[in-house]
Amino acid sequence: MQTLINVVNYILNLGPTAILPIAMLIIGLIFGTGFKKAFKSGIIIGIGFVGINLVIGLLSDSLGAAAQAMIDNFGIQLTIIDAGWPASAAAAWSMPISALLIPILLLVNLAMIVLKLTKTLNVDIWNYWHMIAAGATGYIVTGNNIWFGILCAVIYEIVILVVADRTQPYVEEFFGLEGLTFPTGSPIGFALIGVPIAWLVGKVPGISKLNADSEAIQKRFGILGEPMMIGLILGMTIGLLGGYDVGAAFQVGISMGAVMLLMPRMVKILMEGLIPISEAAREFMNKRFPGRDLFIGVDGALAVGHPGILSTSLLLVPITILLAVIVPGNGVLPFGDLVGITFFVVFVVAKSNGNIIQSVITGTLMMIITLWLATDFATVHTEMMVGSGFNFPEGAAQITSLTTGGNPLNWLILKFAELYQSLFG
Amino acid sequence: MNSSVKKVLVACGTGIATSTVVVERVKKLLADNGIKADVEQIKISEAKGKQDNADLIVSTTILPTTYEIPTVIATGYISGMNAEQIDQKIINILQ
Repeated sequence: MQTLINVVNYILNLGPTAILPIAMLIIGLIFGTGFKKAFKSGIIIGIGFVGINLVIGLLSDSLGAAAQAMIDNFGIQLTIIDAGWPASAAAAWSMPISALLIPILLLVNLAMIVLKLTKTLNVDIWNYWHMIAAGATGYIVTGNNIWFGILCAVIYEIVILVVADRTQPYVEEFFGLEGLTFPTGSPIGFALIGVPIAWLVGKVPGISKLNADSEAIQKRFGILGEPMMIGLILGMTIGLLGGYDVGAAFQVGISMGAVMLLMPRMVKILMEGLIPISEAAREFMNKRFPGRDLFIGVDGALAVGHPGILSTSLLLVPITILLAVIVPGNGVLPFGDLVGITFFVVFVVAKSNGNIIQSVITGTLMMIITLWLATDFATVHTEMMVGSGFNFPEGAAQITSLTTGGNPLNWLILKFAELYQSLFG
Repeated sequence: MNSSVKKVLVACGTGIATSTVVVERVKKLLADNGIKADVEQIKISEAKGKQDNADLIVSTTILPTTYEIPTVIATGYISGMNAEQIDQKIINILQ
């Protein structure tokens, strides 16, 4: 028995690059993917993780230094770097608690279906990471209380599934996707504040008469949708604001363009590793409930091609950057998640009935709140990233993400955990 | 029978998420049916610019605009509903 404990501790101390492959191997075997597939999955996931680590290093070295220079030079206090959803997802997956949570969250979903608390069968294992991030939040704030972490993840899942059911009419009628729901952290979490705000904005007389042409917007602002262009322009600008000469600023720009392009590619590797396990889990779920009257829960990404969403998120890129500079109380330098805004506005656009003006105004108000939330989340978010083995230079800026740190639902879990810790810690 | 190599664009909202799943499936589908094709993974916003050199767009997300080449909505691959019908549609267009 002691040998077993020693072996487990040894593995845990190796860190996520070792834990993940082993954990995924075990999960793969449980779901019946067979040893070879499960093993390969685990290795690919571990490699994806190494890749993401490399890119985050580039981000914090290059942009971190420039952001610091920006403060020294200009007094623009934006030292919390938004590393974006790829980094947040990788961090969530790398927490040891993640492997444990996959089967737990599946079972909770099944239980909720049996108890008729939800009609959504969530087959989107990749996006479990949002719930795992919530679990990691609880785990970290309570100083490694695994049970509380699991509780947080489960609460998050319950909210997601219930709200996913509520928003199904939008998915079916506005997006035309029959029988599907989006139990994904970003669309749902942001819908909690986005939909009420959209409703309010819609009440302003005359708003519904104004609209903007999405094709025209896509044409003129299309370049803002190119992540590597955003990286280049933003990186150079920050370099220049930091007092760098043109050449050095250009170097920052190229490095940032590289981060924007490479980060998703690394995440793709991680995703590829997860596919066999995800498919096995989906078959497992489908076998339990053949032909029942259920909604299939899928990735909110299925909606982001909608022209209203594309246009709104394009316009919100420069708006969010501007907000970051002028909004008092914000410490976040929006960067990696500028491309994530697409997911935040899914239900905002649906509620606004495709009206781009209404969506952009709503989005602007929403992003102000998001920036505050992400600022507040910075300390714990940074710990989550550090705890998953990402390397930051000493005394570097803090890290956050708009997708997790700025997500109202994740933030509520943070407050719940902090409350718990202050009462019972 | 047309034996030239077809070009298929597999698109999703981000170019990395759902399209990864679909690319593998499409490649296998075409190989199993003897259709020679070059499959490229893109973001849906890139589709308009790339359609001139392509024969088919397979998308896992809603289409933001209209295109001059055939399109297949493949959300069924993600949800698991009607996947075979999508397979058949793709084969019919390319053969």
